[in-house]
Amino acid sequence: MHNQQTIIREDNSMSKKRKLISALLFIGLALVCIVGAFLTGPPGGEKESIKEAMKDAVLHEENKVMFGPLEVNPAFLSAVTITVVILTILLIIRIFVIPGFRYIPGKFQMLLELWVGWADDLAKKNSPHRNGFLGAYVFAAGSYVFISTMFELFGVQWVTTSGMSISLPAPITDINAAIAMGVMSYGVIMSGGIAGNGIKGVFLTLKDFSLPISMSFRLFGALLSGLLVTDLVYHYIHLSFVLPVAVGLMFTVLHAIVQTYVLTMLTALFYGEVSEKVQKKSKEKKAGKTRKVKTA
Amino acid sequence: MSLPLNIDLQQVFLHMFNFVILTGGMYFLLYKPVKDFMDKRKAYYAGLEQESREKMTQANLLKEEYEGKMAQADREISQRRADAAKEMELSRERSLAQAKKQAQDILDEARSRGEQEKEKIISKARGEIADLAAEAAEKILYSSASEAFDGFLDSAEGSVNHE
Repeated sequence: MHNQQTIIREDNSMSKKRKLISALLFIGLALVCIVGAFLTGPPGGEKESIKEAMKDAVLHEENKVMFGPLEVNPAFLSAVTITVVILTILLIIRIFVIPGFRYIPGKFQMLLELWVGWADDLAKKNSPHRNGFLGAYVFAAGSYVFISTMFELFGVQWVTTSGMSISLPAPITDINAAIAMGVMSYGVIMSGGIAGNGIKGVFLTLKDFSLPISMSFRLFGALLSGLLVTDLVYHYIHLSFVLPVAVGLMFTVLHAIVQTYVLTMLTALFYGEVSEKVQKKSKEKKAGKTRKVKTA
Repeated sequence: MSLPLNIDLQQVFLHMFNFVILTGGMYFLLYKPVKDFMDKRKAYYAGLEQESREKMTQANLLKEEYEGKMAQADREISQRRADAAKEMELSRERSLAQAKKQAQDILDEARSRGEQEKEKIISKARGEIADLAAEAAEKILYSSASEAFDGFLDSAEGSVNHE
């Protein structure tokens, strides 16, 4: 009994010592970093002002990158990089993982099934009558918006045509990518309308003519705001402690989740609405309604 | 043509092209195979469920059939029990009647025997009484004759003495 108490006391004193050493190391490291940051001079080479950086983030006038013979915005390069990475990973999964799928799934299989099942369920719930193509689209669009927004966190470096080093942004921070997503989603909704109601489906979809604009600008606005805030924070050395973690979480991870949910949900909802067969109202019902109106 | 916000149609189409390729790739590499697998598994479990449901229905039918048979058997048992009870009652009544008859016969025979015995005893008693009466009469007669003889003898003996 006495020996046990001695051992517990020794363990407590050891853990206290460890905590103290860890805290001292942490404080020391933080001090070294901050002193180093203030002592070292400004980096050499050309430096962009915050005004220029902000303007370029919105308008993409200055920083362009080469994509083969084409001069494109960095966001397009991000989009292509993401596509290549995703398709490569999926090819590996297709060849090595999917053939070994079991009826009682393992952790990774469960994750993949959850991913596919989410899109399939979303499509089935919002458009129960016609959802095969919608499920595939929602799956790809949701995955693209989420992964491409998270891509920003990796900070992949690239050199622009003007020789500046930039960190590749999330593709949808570019208005062109956001418009592409909005227009494609609208096109998918319209295709659902045509498949469900023929030519009438086109008019049903055109009724919500503002949808591609609202979809595009919602995506663009949300992700651009995140980019601007993170750029602003990363631009100043004094703001580069602790704050980037919160900012990164707030404006990247949450935006990725929220925008994925919003885009996929809106697409599925509108698709379900326009692809549903329009019931012809009977003459009797119409007459009944007219009578009611007259009475009122 | 310059569009506001530096919108570049060429890049819009490039993004669309990129997304179409990504959608196609994701569909064929992941969505379709995983969905097919999930559908296959769903069908497999639905088949199992259907099979078990059919078996359950079959079992319920069998159960009902057996319950019917059991009820039938119960009815038969109770019917047979009732028949047996009836039979037993009849048999008991028959036995009782037979026993009564036998008892009556025994009683009749005993009565007739008793009667015969009585008559026999009476006749025997009559004979004995007659014998007794004869004997008594004989005794009476004898005792009076012996008394007379004794008197004679006494009187004869007295006359000798006188002489």
